[in-house]
Amino acid sequence: MKTTMKGIALVMFSVLLVTACSKDDNNNAVQPLNELRATDIIADTIIGFSATGQPFGSGKFTFFSLENNRVVPSSDSNSNKWDIGFRGTTIITNSGVSGPGNGGGFVQVGTFEDLKTIAADSVFRTDLSPSNLAIPAGSNRAWFVYNPLANLVTPIPGRVLVIRTALGKFAKVEILNYYKGGVTPLATASDDDKIRKQRYYTFRFMVQPDGSKKLSN
Amino acid sequence: MKLSITLLGFFCFFSANAQDDSTFNSQLDEVVVTATRSERKLSNVAVPTSIIQGKRIAQSGSLRLNDILGEQTGLFITESFGKGLQMQGLSADYTLILLNGEPLIGRMGGVIDLSRIAVGNIRKIEIVKGPSSSLYGSEALAGVINIITDQPAADRLSASIRYGRFNTLDASVNGSIKRGKFSASGFVNSNSSEGYTLLPGSVQKTVEPFWRFTNQFQAAYDFSDKTKLSASLRYNLEDITNSITVQNLGQNIVSAGSEVNKDLNFNPVLSHQISSRIKTQFRGYISRFQSVQQLDVKDAVVSYHDEFNQQFYRIENQTDLVFSDKFNMNVGGGYIHEGVSSNRYDSLSTQRSNNIGYAFVQTEWLPVERLSIIGGMRFDANQAYASVLSPKLALRYRITEKMSFTGSVGRGFKAPDFRQLYLNFTNVAAGSYSVFGSLVAQDEIKVLVANNQIDNLTPSFYKLADLSPETSTGINVGFHYNPVQSLSFKLNAFRNDIDNLILTDVIAFKKNGGQIFSYLNISRALTQGLEAEANWKKGSLDLTAGYQFLLTADKDVLDDINEGKVFTRDLETGISRRITRSEYAGLPNRSKHMANLRIFYEWKNTGWFATARAIWRSKWGTTDIDGNGVINREDEFAPGFVQLNLSAGKNLRNGLRLMAGVDNVFNYKDVVNLPGQPGYNWYLTVGYDFMNKHKH
Repeated sequence: MKTTMKGIALVMFSVLLVTACSKDDNNNAVQPLNELRATDIIADTIIGFSATGQPFGSGKFTFFSLENNRVVPSSDSNSNKWDIGFRGTTIITNSGVSGPGNGGGFVQVGTFEDLKTIAADSVFRTDLSPSNLAIPAGSNRAWFVYNPLANLVTPIPGRVLVIRTALGKFAKVEILNYYKGGVTPLATASDDDKIRKQRYYTFRFMVQPDGSKKLSN
Repeated sequence: MKLSITLLGFFCFFSANAQDDSTFNSQLDEVVVTATRSERKLSNVAVPTSIIQGKRIAQSGSLRLNDILGEQTGLFITESFGKGLQMQGLSADYTLILLNGEPLIGRMGGVIDLSRIAVGNIRKIEIVKGPSSSLYGSEALAGVINIITDQPAADRLSASIRYGRFNTLDASVNGSIKRGKFSASGFVNSNSSEGYTLLPGSVQKTVEPFWRFTNQFQAAYDFSDKTKLSASLRYNLEDITNSITVQNLGQNIVSAGSEVNKDLNFNPVLSHQISSRIKTQFRGYISRFQSVQQLDVKDAVVSYHDEFNQQFYRIENQTDLVFSDKFNMNVGGGYIHEGVSSNRYDSLSTQRSNNIGYAFVQTEWLPVERLSIIGGMRFDANQAYASVLSPKLALRYRITEKMSFTGSVGRGFKAPDFRQLYLNFTNVAAGSYSVFGSLVAQDEIKVLVANNQIDNLTPSFYKLADLSPETSTGINVGFHYNPVQSLSFKLNAFRNDIDNLILTDVIAFKKNGGQIFSYLNISRALTQGLEAEANWKKGSLDLTAGYQFLLTADKDVLDDINEGKVFTRDLETGISRRITRSEYAGLPNRSKHMANLRIFYEWKNTGWFATARAIWRSKWGTTDIDGNGVINREDEFAPGFVQLNLSAGKNLRNGLRLMAGVDNVFNYKDVVNLPGQPGYNWYLTVGYDFMNKHKH
């Protein structure tokens, strides 16, 4: 429900491209990897304002399984069923203080397409504490930048979240948008509009089910 | 050092006008002093030089220096820390502003606010582009603006008063007297406005009410044809109402008070013609600047007091030697003592100071009639920083009577100033932002981190290092063509390579949302472009069209782009991809294209005149929104605009002067990007000349 099947057309297209372009394909008798897209993953939308005017949500994470491409109910938060979680601009991995899984991750500078194989010497970080997460929280530190003048959150281009799933598989994620429908409000839009539409993630991702670090076809 | 003080005391009794008294008819015969620190005909100067005549300043209805400079080719008025001047794509920090050859001090945020300078008594403004540190030392990277005021001459007295939109009232009295060998002049100006609000309903005005008061006096005594003394004194007061309302944790914090800026300049000059071949000039200069902001914060016990004091003392000699028709030389040297105290650094009682000794030499050689070669260099021995050597080489070649070629290459420098090193400032009244000098930033951040006040550090924090002087190499290649007497074309290509450029950047965000800035050497930048100007003078008409094409870049960003390390996001698909060189818009606040058209018309024998001046600026980058470190997205630009200014007036035979004008006729406004542009602005001026009636 939370993910769309829009990705299918893209996947089909990618497969066509891959079969057309990659001559090595016959050597690897593996299933082609699917690039999937999740849209409007709600990440603790704002439900009110504090006495000092600060917006707040319910404080709960939305858990997502990359391997199964679906949102996982909060009741399964203490399980290996989810890989990453979203709350506002904070992204957690199923590791350390965040969950019981074998997850982790780091941020790589580059394009989604260029990350073909995770470097062998890459160090996966884990969620050591709420202020020391595998994917660092805060503006201009990991995947987004916050512009206080425009009051908008923008994903930084060329940032790939390299994720180790709860079960130890490898995946890559690119956050595409933070607003409902995948459309960032204009800078001139009202603050009310910006608050109402934020905390809706659109991202694309790819999981390698065979346990290897290869993330391309 | 003792000698300098003695000399300084000696000069205090006298004065001189360093500038020429020559008259001129056509533009080519105009004499400039700024390009070579000696009188030269404009047509013989080898570096890009232009002149704005006082008459044009008056006809344009300009009141402050930014009004008239903003209409010149290749110049742009920036709006951060007052009205600054961007020249050849370099920020306001890198243009030296001289008043009768002496530097103005009181840079706030690196900027000399040009609106502090009244233009009612300006005889002409000389603009020299390209590095001129070989003659003037620090700050002359982009170029030099030299404001030359009316020199005491015949007896005259005039007064004028102007009223305009926003209750703007400007009144001046200007006079001079000459009795034999003694002459004196005075200029008094009062300029006030109630300010304006761009955002209706906002508590705080965009520009607050202000009052500026300028006094300028000069006296000169000619002992003989060979020996002249002069002294000039200027006192400038600026009082800006401050009423600031900031939101902090949902509550309005109201503070009210004022910002008062005071300028004092005293400049005695003694010049002596030793022989027909040797002329020497001693110059003393004392300048003091004070800026005080006093705010009473509502419901707060302690009021907010912010004070900045700067002193600049200089003694200098320049000697001009003429060896032959083909060879002459200027040699000089001087000593500077400067000091600063501010509660923004440590405390008002801590005086930070610096001493500079310098010497310069310039030679002009004319090996053949058509060619002149000028070489010069200056050595600045700086107490606080490494010594700097600034060489320059320029040449001018007359191809034909109508065509000439100029070329110059030179070095410019700007030493890090006190602010960039020691500033320790937190503005609690306005948004709780902080600015830390590079030498104190890391320690201050450590304290804030320990107090759990820092939300996050930006990548720039990790780039903090000791600041180095900024240096540049500038190349200018020009071509001048005068097909007929009434028509002239100028073309100049320029390139400036700047090393160790110091910029402010956000290094951290506080938990309360406030930003923390510091100063960083952005290691290398470049500005390059082409400037073209055509002028047509025919009878009563004087028409000028100008254009500047400009490209700028942070060279490290260029390297990153070439190495594929900079990305952008396709706004349609949201997919990241590598950015291309052509998508990179360069340094912020630079327009790729700027153009102007200026028409001045004087009806013969009637005293009537009319002017129309249009300036166009193409879109310019503002801020990086998506965190990729460069300006490339369409929403990271401010839109370009056209501004048209009109004026007309009549000088009556009985001495009365009448004038009316409208600036920004199209009422262009950009609330976000141009807070200093209030929209259209009309005014009416009445003046009267008590002694010299107008001749038509």
